[in-house]
Amino acid sequence: MICPRCNDEHVEVLADSPVPDVWQVFQCQHCLYTWRSTEPLRRTSPEHYPEAFKMTQADIDNAPMVPSIPPLLPEDQR
Amino acid sequence: MPYDDLRGFLEALDEQGQLLRISEQVKAEPDIAAAANATGRIGEGAPALWFDNIEGFTNARVAMNTIGSWQNHAISIDMPANTPVSEQIAEFIRRWDKFPVAPERRDNPPWAENSVDGDDINLFDILPLFRLNDGDGGFYLDKACTVSRDPTDPDNFGKQNVGIYRLEVKGKRKLGLQPVPMHDIAIHLNKAEERGQDLPIAITLGNDPTITLMGATPLKYDQSEYEMAGALRQKAYPIATAPLTGFDVPWGSEVILEGVIESRVREIEGPFGEFTGHYSGGRNMTVVRIDKVSYRTNPILESLYLGMPWTEIDYLMGPATCVPLYQQLKAEFPEVQAVNAMYTHGLLAIISTKKRFGGFARAVGMRAMTTPHGLGYVKMVIMVDEDVDPFDLQQVMWAMSAKVNPAGDLVQLPNMSVLELDPGSSPAGITDKLIIDATTPVAPDNRGHYSQPVKDLPETKEWITKLTDLIAQQAKERK
Repeated sequence: MICPRCNDEHVEVLADSPVPDVWQVFQCQHCLYTWRSTEPLRRTSPEHYPEAFKMTQADIDNAPMVPSIPPLLPEDQR
Repeated sequence: MPYDDLRGFLEALDEQGQLLRISEQVKAEPDIAAAANATGRIGEGAPALWFDNIEGFTNARVAMNTIGSWQNHAISIDMPANTPVSEQIAEFIRRWDKFPVAPERRDNPPWAENSVDGDDINLFDILPLFRLNDGDGGFYLDKACTVSRDPTDPDNFGKQNVGIYRLEVKGKRKLGLQPVPMHDIAIHLNKAEERGQDLPIAITLGNDPTITLMGATPLKYDQSEYEMAGALRQKAYPIATAPLTGFDVPWGSEVILEGVIESRVREIEGPFGEFTGHYSGGRNMTVVRIDKVSYRTNPILESLYLGMPWTEIDYLMGPATCVPLYQQLKAEFPEVQAVNAMYTHGLLAIISTKKRFGGFARAVGMRAMTTPHGLGYVKMVIMVDEDVDPFDLQQVMWAMSAKVNPAGDLVQLPNMSVLELDPGSSPAGITDKLIIDATTPVAPDNRGHYSQPVKDLPETKEWITKLTDLIAQQAKERK
């Protein structure tokens, strides 16, 4: 299985349905996209996943930081 | 009677025909979000939705759209369901004046029934999580209150903050949390991170409507949401002590998550379909580690759909944004008559005011931009005269069309602050802001030809009464 959003191959199971064998929730360990197996194809299949929502390595690297991390205060002012 | 928990509010909605139970089996996706989305597309007065038959779950119960119409908003503040919006806001303002009302600390909160700690936590075991919009990066908690304290003044009750921030479930006990830099939790986080410390937090899920409204209300930094909740519900607000952090949390919540925002850590999060009607894009966002979960047996998951406005969040945030802006402006400028900041959490606001002298109205508009909420919102202000009702868009459009000469009535301020989610900001978080002065110029601002307004005839009032009576009589005779 590969991630529908970033095509990475490292996908793990995050949850199984309380009623056995109905669905599973998967999570991509690279872009952290999370989906349930019973969702529509546009959310679960790499071929059908909308181009606009695909996530590349550059998207991850360049994502703005919210909020930015402040400089550490000197030890004596903490 | 004010509601001490979500269940009491749901009962009140049910009694007044504002809770629709969906008994057929639905899929977690896309049905729950699509149904909640549809409540905003079926006209006025949409009910709350209740789901308890969700494919693959055994005991899942989900409530949506509990505040997603003016009727539901009225019931949430314990007013008759048919109360007009302007009266709901006027009552909100009246109750605000009773601030502060000390909270009531209670024992034996229902969420103490069950608890789980550390690595035994799996949020998917406790909550029927689901996705809202196609492009969302995952499953979100978008109606939870997050409680945090000022790390440099942890015993200050007023500085303890209760706010609603989006939370992405990113693991069995891991969340992503969005602290918008203009919001109080970002101040707490900044102080913790510059000291290299984690920021303890308590997240409360499935809450009574009053604290939900307060979580969406931009109070001043040292004003307590619990003390304002008491004012709004006209009775002391019930709180309890969270077991791990010792923070004050709602007594009646369904679930309490406690943990920390990990210091100086950011990780890819999102996108998420936001209240602006646009996705946020992927962000490197804070990471929350959950260390303890306390919960009622079979807790109800409350969530809201948001997307292209209007959706539930617009009803939830609308009055809650108008009232603090009005109160903060009125404190300094008693000339201010009313504030309508119901559009996209106040990215646009319409303010009516009397004028002390020429140029006064635009000064009030600038002040709105420098209120705590204005710093991150209030991108556009339309200033109107005191006899224009800012909630009556016909009147506002008349003022815009007849009172504005772009030669002197547009004030554009470059490179001002706005929340990064504003899709027009560039770079994200920076935008020009605009005041449109649609008030009548007064001396020494002598522009235009406004000396001869057409006024309603003196006899019109009498005829309003007469016509209203005649129409009612005619309708009665027809029956």
